Amino acid sequence: MEFLLNKKLKANIVSISISVVLTFLITIILLLILGKNPVVVLGTMFGEVFGSGYGLGQTLFKATPLIICGCGLAICFHASIFNIGAEGQLNAGSFVISLVAFYFSGLPFILLFPLCLLSGFIVSGVFGLIPAIIKIKKGVSEVISTIMLNFIILALVNYLLIDFFAVKSTVRTEKISESFMIPKFSEYFQMFQGSSLNLTFVFALLLALFTYYLIYKTSFGYKLRAVGFNETASKYMGIKNNKIILLAFFIGSGITSFVGINFIMGYKGYYELGFSNNLGFTAIAVALLAKNNPIGVIFSALLFGILDYGGLAVNNIVPKEIMFVIQGIVILSILSVDKLVEKYYG
Amino acid sequence: MNAIEFKYITKRFGDLTANYNVSFAVRKNSVHCLIGENGAGKSTLMKILFGIYKPDSGIIKINNVEKSFDSPLDAIKSNIGMLHQHFMLIEDFTILENVILGSEVTIKYKIDFEWSEKTLNNFNDKYNLGLNLEQKISEISISEQQKVEILKLLYRNSEILIFDEPTAVLSPVEVKEFYKIIEKFKDEGKTIILITHKLHEVKEIADRVTVLRRGEVVYETEKENLDINILSRKIVGDVILKNDISKETVMINQEDSVIKLSNITLRKNGHDILNKLNLSLHNGEIYGVCGVEGNGQSELVDLIFGLEKKFSGYLEKNTNKISLVPDDRLKKGMIKEFTIGENLILKDKNKLNITKKYLTGLTDEVINNFDVRVPENSVIMKLLSGGNQQKVIFAREIELNNDVLIFSHPTRGVDINATAFIHSKIIEQRNAGKAVLLISSDLDELLSLSDKFGVIYKGTLVKEFSSELENIQNETMKNKLLEKIGKLMIGISVE
Amino acid sequence: MNIIVSILSLTFFAQVLRLFTPYFLGANAANFSERAGVINIAIEGFMITSALGYALFTYLTNNIFLGFVCAILVNLLFSLLYALFVIKLKINQIVAGVGFNLLMAGLAKFLIVFIFQSSSNTPRIPDLPNIPYIQDIPYVGEVLSDYIILFSFALIFISNFVLFKTKFGLRLRSAGENPEAGESLGIKIRLYKLYGVLICGFLSALGGIWLASNQNSFSDGMVAGRGYIALAAMIIGKWKPVNIFFACIMFAFFEALEITFQISGTFIPSQIIQMLPYLITILVLIGFIGKTKPPASDGIPY
Repeated sequence: MEFLLNKKLKANIVSISISVVLTFLITIILLLILGKNPVVVLGTMFGEVFGSGYGLGQTLFKATPLIICGCGLAICFHASIFNIGAEGQLNAGSFVISLVAFYFSGLPFILLFPLCLLSGFIVSGVFGLIPAIIKIKKGVSEVISTIMLNFIILALVNYLLIDFFAVKSTVRTEKISESFMIPKFSEYFQMFQGSSLNLTFVFALLLALFTYYLIYKTSFGYKLRAVGFNETASKYMGIKNNKIILLAFFIGSGITSFVGINFIMGYKGYYELGFSNNLGFTAIAVALLAKNNPIGVIFSALLFGILDYGGLAVNNIVPKEIMFVIQGIVILSILSVDKLVEKYYG
Repeated sequence: MNAIEFKYITKRFGDLTANYNVSFAVRKNSVHCLIGENGAGKSTLMKILFGIYKPDSGIIKINNVEKSFDSPLDAIKSNIGMLHQHFMLIEDFTILENVILGSEVTIKYKIDFEWSEKTLNNFNDKYNLGLNLEQKISEISISEQQKVEILKLLYRNSEILIFDEPTAVLSPVEVKEFYKIIEKFKDEGKTIILITHKLHEVKEIADRVTVLRRGEVVYETEKENLDINILSRKIVGDVILKNDISKETVMINQEDSVIKLSNITLRKNGHDILNKLNLSLHNGEIYGVCGVEGNGQSELVDLIFGLEKKFSGYLEKNTNKISLVPDDRLKKGMIKEFTIGENLILKDKNKLNITKKYLTGLTDEVINNFDVRVPENSVIMKLLSGGNQQKVIFAREIELNNDVLIFSHPTRGVDINATAFIHSKIIEQRNAGKAVLLISSDLDELLSLSDKFGVIYKGTLVKEFSSELENIQNETMKNKLLEKIGKLMIGISVE
Repeated sequence: MNIIVSILSLTFFAQVLRLFTPYFLGANAANFSERAGVINIAIEGFMITSALGYALFTYLTNNIFLGFVCAILVNLLFSLLYALFVIKLKINQIVAGVGFNLLMAGLAKFLIVFIFQSSSNTPRIPDLPNIPYIQDIPYVGEVLSDYIILFSFALIFISNFVLFKTKFGLRLRSAGENPEAGESLGIKIRLYKLYGVLICGFLSALGGIWLASNQNSFSDGMVAGRGYIALAAMIIGKWKPVNIFFACIMFAFFEALEITFQISGTFIPSQIIQMLPYLITILVLIGFIGKTKPPASDGIPY
């Protein structure tokens, strides 16, 4: 990894560090107010997460979709595109993946897997193109259009699922064949026994590397970031802004569909209504904390994974829902710390 | 007695000195014209008077009392009113709402629309403004908008009125209307300061004139002694031509133009920003364009570069390889958050693996060939000085080896050394047979570099000079030419 | 035929009013904020916090009035925090809105579990009092005697009056249209932006309180996206209270229709009806139903 150690990177590291510490402190204060011993809570949490193979596995399992979705969003955010529609986009793609995996079961895995990736990518990507085209042709901010599309897509998926594809009396699709399931880590490493952690995690890591490369090492990535920094200058430097916006939306949204791989092909074997549980929004927090750097997204996702699983682990002591609160605090903290660090560094 | 006295006003913005030791007095109940080129410091001075800026040093006296304004509200309280060059109007509000905003009169909780309307209509009639108070700003013409701004001043009982380039956007008829209103103000005992660069108007209306150049007062005169020719020269100053740049005679077939604009008209926001413009660019030739800002220069550049597509007329291009160094480097010329190398590769061919080594290589080449002063190779553009930033942009555009080069205000805000370097590079490109379009408001620059030279006014190139440029070393010829140019820039036709 | 009869019934009318109220309160809340130039996409979150606040404090103090007041205060505190972020620190309003939504929803989820050990709702709380006698009118008595519902109706006139006829409204709108122009006339723009945000907090609080009172409890997910529909209504209503009113009535109407259909069965899938407000918003934005022009300086930090 080659870093240009300039002021910007230093400022970023400072922001992230302060935010994380700040969140920690606020959490500790919150726990104290609630009458819980922070040492016990945090200790149990980290103990569970790092103390057992199962805990670690679950944490990584929960981090996987966040890495994937975070990377997709990072691409959009670099172009200053506020894609709030990841939740809808990823559900559209995941739903299609579950259908393709089931209905094309005649194909060997080596063909089926890429086919699933491709179909999910295209479907999610196309839904991402809608706000892009609206933005380019009509100048409508993607913020509102993606928020609205979330509801529209989710209703659409709901309709198609319930009315056509769902297994009777359930809210899920048909289970795909065992032979198409992605191997779990527990098959290779005893320590992860019982955990749903599967090879999609590796896929996610590779995806992060690929996205990092795309954003920081290719001409496309530079143009992407140029448009994000200064649209006017990009135009005068001959960059086709509209093309970049369309691509950013398409690729970014397309990537979010891969979240389905983890859940459908690595865990349950089917698509289920509500499986994403607001993942598309949490991923926004993940990307923000990582300052949209895909490598950073890995660590940011890990942190959120720890909060997620750790929350379950300490549920006896303090309700797991506290993790949602902490997520919110993370976002607000990175936003404010960032601004203050910006003012300080000039 | 003096309505206003400026004493040693100095104002700096970073490296730029906008006003330096400006001192002069404005007599009560007079029309005082403040003239000068773009960037001379006129607007800044008036913004200080109106409380938008605070001076770094110096004092202001209003009616012989020293005053210090912290905000426009203070100025308004001292009965000073300002009509800004760029109107401060709310498009979606009616004329009435715009005028009363901030000084509303109410009955209990409700705005007293009846009283407000009556009061405003009184002014409307008295000064013959002809406004329909119910109309929204988005529905009225520019000259009507200006009248709304005037109404704002009247509503607040302004006694000292500052007008910043008031007739810049008016037609001749509207200008006459405007000056009638000014006469009325004078009759009412008000004091008027008029910022303008339109010398013939100054001749008609001014009681006293102050000329600013590069932030300093360079000349003052009274109505009786007004001479447009002298004023014109004082505004542009004494032009020192550089003799060290050699322009080889380029043996190139100049009959064929590389880019030709015929009868180009571009309409925006209801008026023709380019109006039947004709221009040809030839290989091995520097074509200079000068004019007061806002006469169509940016649009001309955008059009040739290909960003402006909805125009009428003919644009013939023999090539699509056009380089552009834009007028506003921060907004248009570079990504300031990127390093030098990163800015350079944006115009490179598409690459799949951009390594640090590659970027460093690109950067080194530019740093060496273009004498860019940097603390380190991977510095971000934001941290470079204006001159060095400009050199990088220059380098980027020149390295593309395109056939046509457009330089828009290439040495604006750039120090002397970088300027000389950039000039030599421009000549170099010309000598190499490229077609160069040079837009600038710096007459020194234009006259030294140009082979052909045109003055742009209200979207047309009103006159072209080429042979005159050959005799420019002769002092008398030079002054004659400058006078001509000065007049053309503000719309006075010359033989 | 059955459907038509149902629609023309008074029960349907009452249902529409009940559905309309939180939409209109939320839409006006967002409108006051945007008219001052501050985008707030966290209306959903603000309704959640006030709904929970009302349920929680009414339960704890056994006093409806205190519960009401506390819910308002909770929202005003959050408003101040939001103002700090977007006005003082000038943080991007969209991103801040997303953050606030997540925090508020999370906080609610957490508090119900923590305080009530329930995964979904608070214990039952009494309604807000109604106007006596009127509430006894059959069919419509309940809605016509509800103070908050009546207030929402009055809100059309109040909003219109405040925004377009008062000094305060004129200055508020200048903050959202052209802050530089306002500033040049001596108006404290940032203060008016703060007012916009506070009014937003207050009105959305009324929405949340009403929802909790109507349901006699707070349950996770009870706001059910109404905050977003409120935003949609504001956009479709082009930031004008009268139009917003009609947009909200329209959404309430379709929703009441959907409920009626569900009871009597129909061919239009309920999901399609559910997505209607959002679809219409996009169509309006694209310009199929007239041009939208938000306040000129909306969303731009000043």
